[in-house]
Amino acid sequence: MSRNLVELIRRHDGIAAPTALDLLKESVAARGELTEEDLQRTAAVTGLPEATVYGISTFYDDLRAPRGERHVRVCTGTACFAATGGSHVQALSEGLGLDLGSVRDDGSVSLAETVCLGFCHSSPAVFDGEVIVAGPGAVAQVLSDSPTPAPQPQWHSLLPEPVLTRPGDWSGLRRALSELDPQQLLELVVSAEIRGRGGAGFPAGVKWRFVRAAAGDEKYVVANGDEGDPGSYIDKYLMEQNPELVLEGMALAGLAVGAAHGFILVRSEYPESKPSLDAAIERARQAGFLGERILGSDFSFEITVVEGAGSYVVGEETALLACLEGLRGTVSARPPFPAERGLYGRPTVVNNVETLANVPFIAARGAEAYQALSPNSASSGSKLVCFNERFNQPTVVEVPFGMSVRELCENVAGGLRDGGRIKAVQIGGPLGGILPAARLDTAFDFDALAAEGCMVGHGSILAFDELTDMRALAVHLLRFGAHESCGKCFPCRIGLRRAHDMFAADAPVDRARFEQLLETLELGSLCAHGSGMPAPLRSLLRHFPQELSLA
Amino acid sequence: MTSERFTSTATTTCGYCGVGCRLEAHADHGRIVSIAPALDGPANEGHTCLKGRFAHQFTRSRDRLTSPLIREGKGLRVASWEEAYARIVSELTRIKSQHGPDAIAGLASSRATNEDCYAMARLMRAAIGTNNIDNCSRVCHSPTSFALRKSLGLSGATGSFTDIDHAEVAVLIGVNPTQGHPVVGARIKQAALRGTKLVTIDPRRIELADYGVLHLSPRPGTNAAVALGLCHVVQRDGLTDEQFIAQRTSGYEAVVELLEAYSPHAVQEITGIPAADIERAAHIYGEAASASILWGLGVTEHKYGSEVVQLLCNLALMTGKLGKPGSAMLPLRGQNNVQGSSDMGALPDTYTAYRSVADEAVAAQFEQAWGVPLSRQKGYTIPQMFDAAVAGKLKAMYIFGEDVAQSDPDTAHVVEALESLEFLVCQEIFENETTRYADVILPASAFLEKSGTFTNAERRFQRVEPAIDPPGGARTDFEIITTVSRMLGHEMGWQTPWDALDEIARLTPQYAGLSYERLGRHGLQWPVAADGTDSPTLYETRFETADGLGHFAALPYKAPGDAPDNEFQLVMVTGRVLQHYNAGTMTRRTHNLDLVDRDWLEIHPDDAARLWISDGDRVSVRSRVGQTQLYARVTPRIEPGHVFTSFHFPETRTNLLIGQSADVNTACPEYKVVAVDVRPMSEQPAFTPQLVSA
Amino acid sequence: MSDTVRIDGVQLEVAPGTTILEAAKLAGRWVPTLCFDERQAPFGACRVCMVGVEGSANPLPACTTVCRDGMNVSTEDPTARRVAGAVVELVLSELPAAPAPHTELAQVAQRLQVGAELRWPGAVHAVDHDLEHPYLAFQHELCISCGRCVRACDEVQGAFALTAVGRGFDANVAAGLDGGFLHSSCVSCGACADTCPTDAITEQLLLVGGNGNSAVAAGV
Repeated sequence: MSRNLVELIRRHDGIAAPTALDLLKESVAARGELTEEDLQRTAAVTGLPEATVYGISTFYDDLRAPRGERHVRVCTGTACFAATGGSHVQALSEGLGLDLGSVRDDGSVSLAETVCLGFCHSSPAVFDGEVIVAGPGAVAQVLSDSPTPAPQPQWHSLLPEPVLTRPGDWSGLRRALSELDPQQLLELVVSAEIRGRGGAGFPAGVKWRFVRAAAGDEKYVVANGDEGDPGSYIDKYLMEQNPELVLEGMALAGLAVGAAHGFILVRSEYPESKPSLDAAIERARQAGFLGERILGSDFSFEITVVEGAGSYVVGEETALLACLEGLRGTVSARPPFPAERGLYGRPTVVNNVETLANVPFIAARGAEAYQALSPNSASSGSKLVCFNERFNQPTVVEVPFGMSVRELCENVAGGLRDGGRIKAVQIGGPLGGILPAARLDTAFDFDALAAEGCMVGHGSILAFDELTDMRALAVHLLRFGAHESCGKCFPCRIGLRRAHDMFAADAPVDRARFEQLLETLELGSLCAHGSGMPAPLRSLLRHFPQELSLA
Repeated sequence: MTSERFTSTATTTCGYCGVGCRLEAHADHGRIVSIAPALDGPANEGHTCLKGRFAHQFTRSRDRLTSPLIREGKGLRVASWEEAYARIVSELTRIKSQHGPDAIAGLASSRATNEDCYAMARLMRAAIGTNNIDNCSRVCHSPTSFALRKSLGLSGATGSFTDIDHAEVAVLIGVNPTQGHPVVGARIKQAALRGTKLVTIDPRRIELADYGVLHLSPRPGTNAAVALGLCHVVQRDGLTDEQFIAQRTSGYEAVVELLEAYSPHAVQEITGIPAADIERAAHIYGEAASASILWGLGVTEHKYGSEVVQLLCNLALMTGKLGKPGSAMLPLRGQNNVQGSSDMGALPDTYTAYRSVADEAVAAQFEQAWGVPLSRQKGYTIPQMFDAAVAGKLKAMYIFGEDVAQSDPDTAHVVEALESLEFLVCQEIFENETTRYADVILPASAFLEKSGTFTNAERRFQRVEPAIDPPGGARTDFEIITTVSRMLGHEMGWQTPWDALDEIARLTPQYAGLSYERLGRHGLQWPVAADGTDSPTLYETRFETADGLGHFAALPYKAPGDAPDNEFQLVMVTGRVLQHYNAGTMTRRTHNLDLVDRDWLEIHPDDAARLWISDGDRVSVRSRVGQTQLYARVTPRIEPGHVFTSFHFPETRTNLLIGQSADVNTACPEYKVVAVDVRPMSEQPAFTPQLVSA
Repeated sequence: MSDTVRIDGVQLEVAPGTTILEAAKLAGRWVPTLCFDERQAPFGACRVCMVGVEGSANPLPACTTVCRDGMNVSTEDPTARRVAGAVVELVLSELPAAPAPHTELAQVAQRLQVGAELRWPGAVHAVDHDLEHPYLAFQHELCISCGRCVRACDEVQGAFALTAVGRGFDANVAAGLDGGFLHSSCVSCGACADTCPTDAITEQLLLVGGNGNSAVAAGV
């Protein structure tokens, strides 16, 4: 991330103004495409160089795909792949008479792909204009021009007393402001040993400590709501059904580290998230939980919701910050860490939405109560998991750590629908390893899954049934990986394209060369996208070599 | 880029502006093919601008002078070196015997090496016997030199470019570094983006103003009032460093008394700058722990240019912002060796290091070294030379590397002077406006073809090494000057410029430690002690004045030499653009011409509308002394009431517009304040620049 | 205050905050790099500067890893060199022609002894030239997205005329609104050409003079 560009933004309008990305999105929404004047105007308004604005305009899917009056985006996420094997994409493309990424000559209809819409409980999903349709009849609805909004998923908790599925009531913030000082609050979060729920599993309290200790008065809290993992709709549930809990977690983070402003980045693929959060912020302001001098204390905290523009890698924390600044969402090498130089160059806490949603309970009830939530695991707290459409009960469920994956799949989610049998499950998103049916007894916690080459990740549990073609799955995963590579580091930029092309070619894959490539990706990549993409491929090589046509 | 691609690579110093970029010049078969910045160049740190990097094709331009030319009747003809030398020796000898040595004058060049300038000064003093030697820094930074010596003691920047990186605040006045000194401009921009607060003071909103915290647009010619206003607020609001003033300065009381009259409101009246902005600027500067002041020709090329520099010194002295990291006074020198040409004593009143020609001990030392008696009388300055020529007292000139008929003000007067001479020698790389009047033209060498040293704007002597040979019959300036001297009967006794450098070091205590070996790749900043220790920062403990104190100067504001009136309603200022260099002799012979192919007249949209001028229109520009035509560029970067143009294209003859007004102390011309009348050309007849009086 | 580190057995004291790459240079040890230029802040994109560090299971990038007291670094760690070589091989595979021998990329490849055979051949960048500027030539197919030109224009010159564009394999660099140097805020300083490790941006004169890519020279 260019320090100079960030400085130009700070000096021009500071953090309050719309970003270049905001303005470009507005232009695309208004006219369906970006003209040279749009770019020049954006540069003039933001004070950014024209080249920089052009670079931004070529990065995000939402700005690159041509748009007709009716813009149809078909989900090509892994849950939709697991549901149809990709046939829904072909059906829609043929039905509309449009290739992916094209628009009719008369500008009436355009078709683009998107990953993913978070309707993994009801695949396949299509975003038709303003409406998301999902389920087996989705394509037919779109083609008959009668889209019906798909139902939202259900949720429940296995815990005697729900933590993440109880409505946020601001009790944690109340207690923190009346009984704790910021340092005590921070120590509480440290001793609760809450690990980040976004995938990396880094202890949140330690991160907070760095930010609190960092120099300067201006600090930020950033909630990562860029839940890009295909197959996951956990953050979507939190932001849309339980936004108060997230906001309260952010306010607590601000109180603990000394920040007065928080930002949430939500995905444009989740059109309901921003309105829901904005409404909750307004309610919280009215009730005095956000704004100036909260609950009569000296603590003031504002939250701004920012919508992204279509990029998976923006879920990586440094790319997320770049996106919030309206710049290209590419990854930056660390150090400097965001805790030292983050949003707009200032010390910043970046936590996943779900991580933050855990904090109100810790503030209200203490670290010990939190650790007691998962008595059968070394991991503390509870976890939201979600299941894809193949399951009988594809819902969001709050679970304690330590249950086996089998229990989750068979007891909690009711096994596969239509008598299907699990061939394998991918846990925690596209960078998570794939667990074959034979190893479903693995415990669902950070350490046990890691031992299997898998991870808790973000907690999605995505089943593939026995009809799944594992080579096609490899192509699907690598296509996603190559498409979403931000293009910064060489191994990921080139390596994922080469890996994809090896599997997409109609020829056996040289296993030795492929594994050399995977090693290069794993050890060489700058962020978890490049270093993590090999994990499911390693799983496939290990558990399904005979299905991959290897040489 | 590795050097194996090229047959040879010379590490040298750029010959364009005064930044002093170190360059790696790659040559192949006798031509420059590529120039890259030296990674370890102290001033440029691995960077350079399009002039240093790309504008080198002029060295093999087809119209390079490659053999001597001598006058025969009305024309010039090709001659051998022997013929040319013989003509010079016989004419100079004749004139000297008929009219005395003071009927002859020489000009050294701020483009040439220290050794060339030193040799030229020695030629005039020892071989001819006159102090009639000057150089073109007369028309740019002589006010800087004068004022710094008066106030602080030494004629040079008080610090280094690295002070820009360490300064909490940098004040830029009358300088546009991103155009004129691009590598320092880039350095300032980066510093500003990292947090150095910039205050820019210029009639135009220069590019760096966009990166600064405050921009002040004074009326041209009112810099003194700006400086006085800043000092007023600093003094009034107690932002002074009393201990520094008490221990290290003299003359403060008179300044305090003077400052009373320059309240921000009074200054607003004079300069047009809002009083509140004067207050703010003074506080930004005064409250900073470290602050540097940078200036250029927008300060010096005025009637009271030298006084403004003294007033800026006042500001630094009263706040103690001198002699420590980040607190420097940095004049940005226009040409590569403005600093050195004067340091070398190519001036009518001083030997090396500004030691007076009247100083008996110094003169005696040089007499002993050169083995001839030397004059104790000051010689002519450049303007005095032209006056003397017109008056019939000066009969011959030897002009080396300066196109006075193009660059100097009041062109008509200059031309008359040149026509009045009995004998004119021009030593040049191209024919130009001045060589038209020459009796002998000597084909000389460009900076990429010679050895020696340049001294950059931070007082750094740096090596110059040849990347290619002079083309055809052209010779190095050093060889030419020493040969002429020998033929006039004065053998300088040097084989190479490095021998001259040794002599300079031997005869100049301030440069005592200089040597080819010690200069190495990074050069040395003078003063250089005998053991080779150099001086990045001056005045850490004392000033180099006689009493060791910094001298305040109580100088009131005085109106500039020209002012708008009913007939001439606009005030014109002049300056450079990035792509070209001065008279354009070099850059117009490169592809830089594809980037910018003309001088433009910048005019504010309000004035343009009032005068029915549209962007791109051809306009007539008329001053009290001359007239020319330019294309208009309508831009809000210039204030209403002012216009701006560059002076790179001879066909424009911008200097036809400039009168004889000049700095009161140094005779540096007042290029920057010219009242003009601008109007659209309804038609575009074939155009010849002309003098009003003609 | 300083930290003690060992680079290939050479012990040296370094100031806090010194990167492994800087320390290796002080120790006189070569570490391959492609996206690094000492005039610019470390970028960490090329992943060629991998080194082995005692106690770290995986190799670390030397340019962005800060020395810790007691660190023991091996610049020729076999795994690190294997990764570096593989990355350079990938980079070579995206170019339609081998880079000119004088370029930094060619020299790094030669020193790492890779490129004779490419394990992962495939799609290459499309030929696309901007030759409109009098001095600067841009051959986009040679661009490896190391970001050095963009950073030179940003961190050194401050002209901000260049940007990274696209993403993934299609990433490249553009001037202005992709209209080429002449139609951008370029000030022709040439810092981009100076730092380019592949001659994707180079001097027109070097192309015409026959020192560069002959295909381009023929087109001028």
